[in-house]
Amino acid sequence: MKTYISVFLMVCFMAFGAQAQIDRSQPPKPGPAPKIDLKSPQEFTLSNGMKIMVVENHKLPRVSFNLTIDNKPTLDGNKHGVSSLLAAMLGNGTKTISKDDFNEEVDFLGATINFGASGGYASSLTKYSNRILELMADAAMNPLLVEEEFQKEKDKLLDNLKSEEKSVDAAAARVGDALSYGTQHPYGEFTTEETVNNITYGDVYAFYQKQFNPNNAYLVVVGDVNYKEVKAQIEKQFGKWKKSVVVDVTVPASQPNAQYAQINFVDMPNAVQSNISLRHNVDLKMSNPDYHAVLIANKILGGGFSSYLNMNLREKHGYTYGARSGIDSDKYVGQFSASTAVRNMVTDSSVVNIMMEINRIKTEPVSAEDLRNAKAKYVGDFVLALESPQTIARYALNIKLNDLPKDFYSTYLQKINAVTAEDVQRVANAYFKTENSRIVVVGKGSEVVENLEKTGIPILYFDKYANKVDKPVFSKPLPEGLTAQKVIGDYMAAIGGKEKAETVKSVHTSANVTIEGVPIPLKADIKTMSPNMESMEMSAEGMGVLMKQKFDGTAGYAEQQGQRKDLTAEEVAESKLKRSIFPELHYDAANISLESMVDIEGSETYKLKVSENGKDSYRYYDAESGLLKRVEATEEAEGQSVMTVVTYGNYSDVNGLQFPYSQSIVAGPQVINLNITNIKINDGVTEADFK
Amino acid sequence: MKNCLFTLATLVLIGYSANAQEVEFEEYDLDNGMHVILHQDNTAPVVITSVMYHVGAKDENPERTGFAHFFEHLLFEGTKNIDRGEWFNIVSSNGGSNNANTTDDRTYYYEVFPSNAVELGLWMESERLMHPIINQIGVDTQNEVVKEEKRLRVDNQPYGNLLAEIKKNIFFKHPYRWATIGSMDHLDAATLDEFQAFNKKFYVPNNAVLVVAGDIDKGKVKKMIKDYFGPIPKGPEVTRNLEKDEPITSTLKATAYDPNIQIPAIIGAYRTPPQKSKDSYILNMISSYLSGGKSSVLYKKLVDEKKMALAVQAVNISQEDYGTYALFALPLGEVKLETLLSEMDEEVAKIQTELISERDYQKLQNQFENQFVNSNSSIEGIAGSLATYYMLYDDVNLINNEIDIYRSITREDIMATAKKYLNPNQRLELEYLPKKDDK
Repeated sequence: MKTYISVFLMVCFMAFGAQAQIDRSQPPKPGPAPKIDLKSPQEFTLSNGMKIMVVENHKLPRVSFNLTIDNKPTLDGNKHGVSSLLAAMLGNGTKTISKDDFNEEVDFLGATINFGASGGYASSLTKYSNRILELMADAAMNPLLVEEEFQKEKDKLLDNLKSEEKSVDAAAARVGDALSYGTQHPYGEFTTEETVNNITYGDVYAFYQKQFNPNNAYLVVVGDVNYKEVKAQIEKQFGKWKKSVVVDVTVPASQPNAQYAQINFVDMPNAVQSNISLRHNVDLKMSNPDYHAVLIANKILGGGFSSYLNMNLREKHGYTYGARSGIDSDKYVGQFSASTAVRNMVTDSSVVNIMMEINRIKTEPVSAEDLRNAKAKYVGDFVLALESPQTIARYALNIKLNDLPKDFYSTYLQKINAVTAEDVQRVANAYFKTENSRIVVVGKGSEVVENLEKTGIPILYFDKYANKVDKPVFSKPLPEGLTAQKVIGDYMAAIGGKEKAETVKSVHTSANVTIEGVPIPLKADIKTMSPNMESMEMSAEGMGVLMKQKFDGTAGYAEQQGQRKDLTAEEVAESKLKRSIFPELHYDAANISLESMVDIEGSETYKLKVSENGKDSYRYYDAESGLLKRVEATEEAEGQSVMTVVTYGNYSDVNGLQFPYSQSIVAGPQVINLNITNIKINDGVTEADFK
Repeated sequence: MKNCLFTLATLVLIGYSANAQEVEFEEYDLDNGMHVILHQDNTAPVVITSVMYHVGAKDENPERTGFAHFFEHLLFEGTKNIDRGEWFNIVSSNGGSNNANTTDDRTYYYEVFPSNAVELGLWMESERLMHPIINQIGVDTQNEVVKEEKRLRVDNQPYGNLLAEIKKNIFFKHPYRWATIGSMDHLDAATLDEFQAFNKKFYVPNNAVLVVAGDIDKGKVKKMIKDYFGPIPKGPEVTRNLEKDEPITSTLKATAYDPNIQIPAIIGAYRTPPQKSKDSYILNMISSYLSGGKSSVLYKKLVDEKKMALAVQAVNISQEDYGTYALFALPLGEVKLETLLSEMDEEVAKIQTELISERDYQKLQNQFENQFVNSNSSIEGIAGSLATYYMLYDDVNLINNEIDIYRSITREDIMATAKKYLNPNQRLELEYLPKKDDK
């Protein structure tokens, strides 16, 4: 009895133990939000106007110095590239220290010194920080700018421009900015071989004189320093920097946005993906009261993995590895953009879906969950960024550069959290102007323009330097003497020879099938028998046969989920004339014609038109291998005509004949992929299989 | 008196800054064999939860390469309590960020959260280990994603196949011979059973280390760890018996082609000792001497002065079982690849025959000290180092005293190691050439 009781107790105890265990079926709720402590840097100003901010942080024995010269952007015109050359030449010696000695000493100290055209950065261990500050100041105020180095850097810049010539991404960035800001705006102009060749050593020197002065300079110091000591050091090093005469320049106005939505197309025949970016200029300064709501609206639209754009283009359609949008708040002129890179075939659909998602955020209220998640991500990013002492410095600098109220960052999270669903919809309408945007598409015209035209959005054409051009001719000239018969002959030779192909009486194909948007793995069992019999059965594991299509030479039917539909007399007549195995064996020379040479997925193909039974279809044969690459046919279904495109790949040997082991079928909005697992020739297929 | 005070203050200051660098940590094992490392730093409200598994590309069946990396993708698909596709939502809706990566030696997963969500991070990582859902849908989806990743990162990248070509040509028996991303044909051919078996074999607590670092309360976190990871059963011990490669004794030559490049590359690649060995640390120093910074020997000579190379690099890719030391250069203009290689050889020969200068030696010491300080600058970096030192170096204390190894290296050591490993008859010479349309 006693034993029983103790066992009983044990059971109770264990049950109790189990109950006391955590509930892992739900995500644990986060504890109270951590307290955020936003410190302010210590500041002082030198008599030459340079402002210094110091963030003391003694966690690690290191120091960084960040110099920002906040000049207004200027037009470089036909000498564009002068700032890149200056940037490359700075930080390589001073008037009293040779280039070799300078670089050797920086390396010797295990430190870093870099310069750009409007600032510089240096970092080192605490113990060398005074010397590094000295070197940085000397390099900023007394740089070694010599003719020889100028020539070297100019050659390098020209080499780099050459290596970028074929880059789709570089062209997209260049043309996008040039078209939306205009080439008469500092943000829209760009560097070419010609502009670089116009630049002289004197230009670089003059540019330095104009840009590098302390009037608008900020130096941010972060790290293991003592404020008083570093202040004395900075006064000693930068105090002697001479203030220059202030010449007030006006930043030219950017080009107005497009009057109507338009595609701006740039043809690059080497492109394997289309680079798409919808963009227009916006006026959104950080001080704008809508700023926080716009950030949230953009986050929901395209600011992360779970955003509208990415969920549509990547997760739902599989067009791309990623799609994003961004809004750039700038004190002169900002920009909104939604961009992605997609495979050629889906360029038009991607454009349509991007427009659709932007319209969605403008017309439908955002769900409470999406809004909450977008805010949570902003709050999290804000908190995580505080780990780096650079963040405090960056915030303080932003307040100065953008004339923001002092409490901009201390009230930041509060303002983010106050954004409502109505705010999101309102600012989406005010700042995401699809109706005034340019959709800049850089891609391979021969494969994408025909379909882009079907979107109904007007297309304007530009070259890769943003000059307007007429619509280019995309197909290439055919090799001389080539005929449709020769293409068919090459194809027959490539698959293993006509004689061999004629011995095939039946083919039995098994395939794994995926249909985009359908999460169930399917299997297809396809049988064909000469001259015209066809059978296909589609099944899913545990669900049996879902769909059947059969034609036995005289009659046929389609059956789906128990519903059977017989072929009409017209369909029977058509099926009778079709040749199910290697139709190329049966073509009448009068019915085939060679159309053009077309690029498909990076390889050249010959496009053949086949006219049979009053219908035209197009077949594309690889120019190099001779193999069939694609078939396009238009089918009538329920009163609508649907274009079906079948792309073949992965050719492999079956009994001495080449068969494609992958087939991708795009029919209207549907994408079906067949991954063939087995092909059997003249083996086991009987006429009964087609009944 | 004043002076004395001042000295005392300086002393205190020095003591303080020396201490400031020390990364304090506590480590212990759970009953199921999972190793745990905690590092508390309450200066910012941030926490990282991370798990490193001792499984990488080298643990793959040679007929199924790419499995380890594929798994990294698969284990974001969902668990018993996290629905498919929800992983990223949970992370971002709690203000966190997450990622994972795979090497030949190990696989690493982590989340960074505001510190109030530490329990969430532990829950997620324990879910991943305890009962991930590995099914056909996940396999099919990730198969496509991995293919896109390969296209983006390898096949479409200039010089993207370089490392794979080196590995293929210097390892013949050891599994470092294949690329971490693996073969897409192998992944296509793999069955669901194989994926499940891989999970069962390698994803066990006794083959993993959990790191929790940042703004934590150690007592509370220990309890959470016990609650979430304690119930996960121990697995059979993971044993490895990887084949070793014979030393290379005569120069190997190979050529590879890349359609994405216009400028060819020349590579001299040597098989070197494992990363734990002192020699491996010495080789890191030799890399810095040859190509670290604008004043380094190879950069200064080939890029700056002679204008023979567009870029030049000496790298020591150190791994658990072997290292790969590679000299790499891109020619400028008409310079021949063999000329570049012999120019590089000339500098290596100097290290083998003469001691480097005292000043260069001091420069290396400064550079490594700087690197060491910066390596511990973020919680994310510290967590990664703690896990790596535990799993691949068997010594977590290296986080604080790895610099002592570098300090112990002498100029004579540098000469001896260069002599021992960096000889032309011990290497592969690989010409990596642009693929022309007709090839």
